[in-house]
Amino acid sequence: MDADSDVALDILITNVVCVFRTRCHLNLRKIALEGANVIYKRDVGKVLMKLRKPRITATIWSSGKVICTGATSEEEAKLGARRLARSLQKLGFQVIFTDFKVVNVLAVCNMPFEIRLPEFTKNNRPHASYEPELHPAVCYRIKTLRATLQIFSTGSITVTGPNIKAVASAVEQIYPFVFESRK
Amino acid sequence: EVAYSQSTGQKEQLSRCLLRGIRRVQDLCKVLQLPTVFEETAVSYFQRALQHPSFHLVSLEKKELLGGCCVFVTCRQHNWPLTMGTICSLLYAKQELFASVYLSLQKELGLSVPALSLADLVKTHLNSFQLFQHGANIPAAFVEDKEKMVARTMQLVELAGETWLVTGRHPIPIVTAAAFLAWQSLQPAGRLSCPFARFCKLAGVDLPPPAHLRLKELLDILLRMASQLAWLKVFKLDKKTVVKHIGDLLQHRIFLLKNAFCLEEGEEQRAPGEGSAGEGSPRSPPASGGAAREQGCPSAGQRQREGGRRPLLPPCLLHPRKRLRTAALSAADCAVTGDEPISDSEIEQYLRGPEEMRAFRKAKAWP
Repeated sequence: MDADSDVALDILITNVVCVFRTRCHLNLRKIALEGANVIYKRDVGKVLMKLRKPRITATIWSSGKVICTGATSEEEAKLGARRLARSLQKLGFQVIFTDFKVVNVLAVCNMPFEIRLPEFTKNNRPHASYEPELHPAVCYRIKTLRATLQIFSTGSITVTGPNIKAVASAVEQIYPFVFESRK
Repeated sequence: EVAYSQSTGQKEQLSRCLLRGIRRVQDLCKVLQLPTVFEETAVSYFQRALQHPSFHLVSLEKKELLGGCCVFVTCRQHNWPLTMGTICSLLYAKQELFASVYLSLQKELGLSVPALSLADLVKTHLNSFQLFQHGANIPAAFVEDKEKMVARTMQLVELAGETWLVTGRHPIPIVTAAAFLAWQSLQPAGRLSCPFARFCKLAGVDLPPPAHLRLKELLDILLRMASQLAWLKVFKLDKKTVVKHIGDLLQHRIFLLKNAFCLEEGEEQRAPGEGSAGEGSPRSPPASGGAAREQGCPSAGQRQREGGRRPLLPPCLLHPRKRLRTAALSAADCAVTGDEPISDSEIEQYLRGPEEMRAFRKAKAWP
């Protein structure tokens, strides 16, 4: 196996987090009363609303800020956010769907080999940090992409980044380094 | 004439918080019996950290932990084997909080912290064992020579490292388990009947919970290796009797590992396309990876008897506990653009009807 040979790796997106604003004040009590699939957290001042399709959970604040989590693609996140905004419109609020942005993407990728973590950390300081007393994986940060990778000895890599493109670039960048330290 | 405010005297005034912190760092270094140079380095790190905005306005609890973190970092930089568990117990601190302060310190000051040396940790940890001298609580047959025990424990820890038992795990449970096996194997006659918990009690050390699992894993590896030794093949070894032969197993470690497990890359035959399972289709890596490795092992299918070669993999891949990720993207999901029109009927499922609202209001006793 050669690091330069074409290896197709599946990157499975497990979570996409997005935010948007409704540009109006939201009455959380009214949402809790009239909305289905709603949990009202009065002590922290927010409402959780779950949609079935796409399967997302939205956290809604009275200021009109909404965070949606659970989507498995950026498009699905946008669709879920729009459905949620539409639900709020139906409840009687003057919602304008604005400032939509994907803020975080979590993905998992599996290398077809195990990785020697101490060797990998030694070869990749200071980007790599490995503290087995705290966490079994190496934490590798790519500042330029604002991406963080958790690299496990089994070859499984968890990537978080601001968008899907950054996540894909991070996996491309890390591959030669993990390949060097493979078992 | 120079005004007092312009003289160096005023600039040398240290805040009470800083003075207290420096004293705490010095006390920690004395308790751990560290060399003077360590104390100077730790104090300088503490002073630098406290001037940093990230640590200047934190709680007193965090400032106390900051001193411990500075000592910990200094020890690691000088390859002095000190674990987080030791520092946390000295500071009566929660490990999660210590971890967050430690990682912030490393990041903000840009400190390079080398990995903990297992070899040094073995020596230091065994120093705390009380089995090397005769004592009232320790039967004569249980007393052991320190040098022999350190040497054998080191070999067992190296074996654990080569067989994926160390990576990603806490080091102390592995060292404790290896020490127990080393101690038993040096004089098996009187010691095989002594359980692990009693050994730790006699040695005066804690028995960390994962140590039982590490012991089990080490014994599994040793049993596999023993199945490849010609003069042991006739015996039916189990987890107790294999301990008697640890000396021989360690002596021929490289040969036995090669024969007992699929080690060579060529044997594992992972094709470049194995990683991809087609466009948009799910991939369950541990299962498919495991299957690939088993297929790659020569005659793995034929030699499925006890003692046959198995892949040398991290234990979590051999015995996966987690439900594997099999999220299949359907064609409809792939076609989502995010801008599809949304019909009213879709939204109405998320709204309560009037009767439902009345019932809910009654149940919640809302006015």
